[in-house]
Amino acid sequence: MTAALLGQAQLVGHAQLVDPFTPFAAPFLGRPLLLLLALAVAAGTVGVLVHLRRLEFSTDGLTHAVFPGLAIGAALGGTAGLLPGAIGAALAAAVVLALISRRGQPRDTAVAIVLTTFFSFGVVLVSLSRGSGGSISDFFFGRLLTITWGDLGVALTLIAIAVALIVVTARQQLFAAFDAAGARRAGLPVLALEVVGTVAIALVVVAASASVGTLLALAVVIVPAAAARALTRSLPTAIALSIAFGAVTGWMGLWLVVQLAQSGVDAAPGATVALTMIAGYLVALGVGALRGRRAAGTAAIAVDGGAAR
Amino acid sequence: MSEQRDAVVEIQGGAFGYGGAPVLTGVTFAVQPGEAVALIGPNGAGKSTLLAGILGLAQHRAERFRVPTGKGEIGTLSQSSAIDAAFPVTLEQVVAMGRTPRLGLRWPGSGDRAVVADALAAVGLTEHRRTRFGDLSGGQRQRGLLARALASEPRLLLLDEPFNGLDQPSRDALIETIRTLKARGVALLITTHDLELARAVCDRTLLVNQRQIAFDDTDCVLTLEQVEAAFASHVMEIDGHTLATTEHHAAEFPEHRHPFGDDQLGEPAGERDEAR
Repeated sequence: MTAALLGQAQLVGHAQLVDPFTPFAAPFLGRPLLLLLALAVAAGTVGVLVHLRRLEFSTDGLTHAVFPGLAIGAALGGTAGLLPGAIGAALAAAVVLALISRRGQPRDTAVAIVLTTFFSFGVVLVSLSRGSGGSISDFFFGRLLTITWGDLGVALTLIAIAVALIVVTARQQLFAAFDAAGARRAGLPVLALEVVGTVAIALVVVAASASVGTLLALAVVIVPAAAARALTRSLPTAIALSIAFGAVTGWMGLWLVVQLAQSGVDAAPGATVALTMIAGYLVALGVGALRGRRAAGTAAIAVDGGAAR
Repeated sequence: MSEQRDAVVEIQGGAFGYGGAPVLTGVTFAVQPGEAVALIGPNGAGKSTLLAGILGLAQHRAERFRVPTGKGEIGTLSQSSAIDAAFPVTLEQVVAMGRTPRLGLRWPGSGDRAVVADALAAVGLTEHRRTRFGDLSGGQRQRGLLARALASEPRLLLLDEPFNGLDQPSRDALIETIRTLKARGVALLITTHDLELARAVCDRTLLVNQRQIAFDDTDCVLTLEQVEAAFASHVMEIDGHTLATTEHHAAEFPEHRHPFGDDQLGEPAGERDEAR
């Protein structure tokens, strides 16, 4: 599919495709780039909150829970059905999660049960409706390059709402994430803040799942914040780095898709972008570890110096 | 005395609990602006329930119940906080969190930043403001959390065992801060097992054990008879004029769960654990 799409771009010539900017003038590459940049902003806000509240596994559960909704939506309404399906599934998952938690199950158990149930259900649905809805890999990664202006508009709107929710409540969210008991004693509406945070996460997951697939949605929310944390101990820097990381790896991933297609390799675009992000994360981990070792070395020298005195 | 109109806290005939039978009954006391009241009693006496009741996190019945109710008017410092040392915030950012109840969703202005700087100065940690919170010593963290409570410019401060596990410099610094706050007109209610400290900074003392035993000037309350009555079932050590109870040691057990510093603040489980 990628190669077929890129066939249109053959007109601009191979030399220009190697150039890092020109390919994105083509709408089928410009739209996904725009989406990935918007998701980078979500990574720096919603993603950082997920990281601070250690909600990575819940977010994973949510992305997988959205999956059967995508399958049902696609079977009933084609691509137009994806978003309503995702929203419906996210709501259903939230209700089931709350019910299981209320039964006294630990949060991780509840998430694992919801993840497995919804995900298996989605796979069964996709296998039953083969041909009409799309393949499993489509739901995971496949539609990054086929997103329309309409889809993009809806996705950008949902992401904007999610980012706005977090920015407006940012300082209270930080207090509640740092010390929930202290925030409650200080009179902050901790439960309401949690709900607002969860809604924002769900909006990003829904927008990303319906447009770039389930697994890339998860990568975009979780990987940039984790990479930023490996590089810095400062929160404002971590936010800036998350956004920059998401934008750069998103753009590099797309660029890589173009290069691979040029060499005749039809790599799944979403998965390629996700792998680019993971590669960036590994680099960040390495750099962070090196810097940590150097800082520890400096500290040891300082201690030695102090002892010598 | 408790009839004074400008009291920050005024409670008459109060009973506190979490539904079911009250944990603490017969509570009648007041805290004036600029006054520190010590809250003393053995574990399970209902001290934390009283603090939770004042915050509106536990239920109360009372003939008269007047406590500050405005946003940020009550500041708290809990005995132990389940705080992640790796959390990427500086001391200054933690203290600024204390401003959020007053701010709501507004963005902080220069006045708010001045209050935060002032709170940091009040606990003597200005030079550490850019240090990551997790890198501070235990005593410095405790003082940092006190600064966070001060950042909401409270009329009333509830301090739950603020001296627990503090080294001598941090203890001295905290006593100094409490004196400064009193001079500024802040009312304080301080639970402690350290009777010497109660004598040092608290004007009056509220002695409880599931019911109120006494409330008067600290020196009048902390007599051997009264303390014996409160700590009836507990062995006491009497060291010169200092009365120290075995509770002091019990309170320093790290696995001891305290509802005031606990996530399940609204639930009675911790309090029941405490009761024998």
